[in-house]
Amino acid sequence: MYNLVMKDIKLGVHPLFFAMPLLTGALMLIPGWIYFIVLLYFCWITVPNMFNQFRSQNDLMFTSMMPVTKRDIVRARVTVVAGLELLHIGIAMVFGLVTLRIYPNFDYYFFPPNLGFWGLCFVMLAIFNLIFIPMYYKTAYKIGAAILYSITAAMLFAGVVQWIGIQSPVLSGIFYGTDANSRVIQTCILIAGIAIFFALTAIAYRIGVKRFLQVEIQ
Amino acid sequence: MLTLDVRNINKKYPSFELKDVSFQLEKGYIMGFIGVNGAGKTTTIKSILNMTHIDSGEVHILGRSMAEHELELKQEIGFAFGGIDFYTRSKMKTLTETIKKFYRNWNDETYYHYLRRFKLDENKKIADLSTGMKVKYSLALALSHGAKLLVLDEPTSGLDPASRDDLLDIFQELIVDGEVSILFSTHITSDLEKCADFITFISGGQIIRSCEKEEFKASYLLLNGTARELDRVKDRLISYKTNSFGFTGLIHASDFDSSYGIKAATPSLEEILIFFTKKEEVHV
Repeated sequence: MYNLVMKDIKLGVHPLFFAMPLLTGALMLIPGWIYFIVLLYFCWITVPNMFNQFRSQNDLMFTSMMPVTKRDIVRARVTVVAGLELLHIGIAMVFGLVTLRIYPNFDYYFFPPNLGFWGLCFVMLAIFNLIFIPMYYKTAYKIGAAILYSITAAMLFAGVVQWIGIQSPVLSGIFYGTDANSRVIQTCILIAGIAIFFALTAIAYRIGVKRFLQVEIQ
Repeated sequence: MLTLDVRNINKKYPSFELKDVSFQLEKGYIMGFIGVNGAGKTTTIKSILNMTHIDSGEVHILGRSMAEHELELKQEIGFAFGGIDFYTRSKMKTLTETIKKFYRNWNDETYYHYLRRFKLDENKKIADLSTGMKVKYSLALALSHGAKLLVLDEPTSGLDPASRDDLLDIFQELIVDGEVSILFSTHITSDLEKCADFITFISGGQIIRSCEKEEFKASYLLLNGTARELDRVKDRLISYKTNSFGFTGLIHASDFDSSYGIKAATPSLEEILIFFTKKEEVHV
């Protein structure tokens, strides 16, 4: 498994995509922006490019010829995707902290980059994984529909929670509040978000394996 | 001892079918796997390597079932797929560094020996290698992890005659010590005339014959005769072509009676391939 992850990192993922978390993370410094977009860049840019690279370099056949199980092939790929997501979110969180420091009294219309917001980001990426990974592993090379549906679902989630966050006084109080009570709830949302991220990604991996076992290597 | 034992593989696609494919390759020999494009060579190879799900049948490599011991057996199989490139923008060195980690018997000394032998510069990118060099690189990788069976799908396609000849010499060198066996699919039959010990001939998804090369050729006869002579043997011919002088046709040696007085000669592999394909076209 480790060798497969290293293979993806050394051969399949362009070094630029390891710099992307820094580049997109820096967008967190824009005051009052829709910060969901920062993480959506991963889905819009990194994922399609990465998977197209795997396809154009015949990675599927290359990997299938080596002494590895199909299960490990999926596990390694999901690890790489989830690893990059965590890198994106981790670096964005650091930039978010800087933003909160340099604009302490900013009046946020969209969600401020607090712990509750990051919890929602974890859920957004979990939804993306849950749709993208199983759909991709139906063929293990077609990415169009998988990308389209997974990004749409992630964006819908972001749009809907943001809209509710603005419209609902209860949720607005939770996500925009800066008092101690709100912070406790925001921390709980973050923990729940992380749990959902790992749970849904694990489910996506299991479905992906099940489907990939049926795939004929072309 | 058998290196490769393929037994009764069946695999149905919507427009193509492998029917009861069986053949055996003994240790230390080269088997030519011939058939025209679309005959089922690559599908058979992919079935051997567990890349497709076969409907029925068994594959045994080095005495072990491929279905049950895929991982261990892949440690002992080397591959080269002609015309399919992997990570072309990477340097050979980078690719090797990654690949070698997967093989427990990897030997750097052997690897560099073959790089020198094949005149390969590991700082070159895959995209900068000629077709022949790519095959040689695949061979170097396979031999460095101690592969006992080399499965080569169309390795000589697209090579110039000199490079093909060079590669065929290498194949023969590799089997000298009797440890390595080669299954080598191609539609360039002249390559097999030079280096194959056994021939397995596939047509329309079915194995027509699998045996020693000379025996394979001797089991057919190429007839040349007049139009009147054609009428006498027409029903027994596998297929034939007519021209202004008469006809040329292929017949099973057992179906031929020398009392016909028709000129008969041992066919080349290419002629066997062509006449069998013609037979299929007639039936389609």
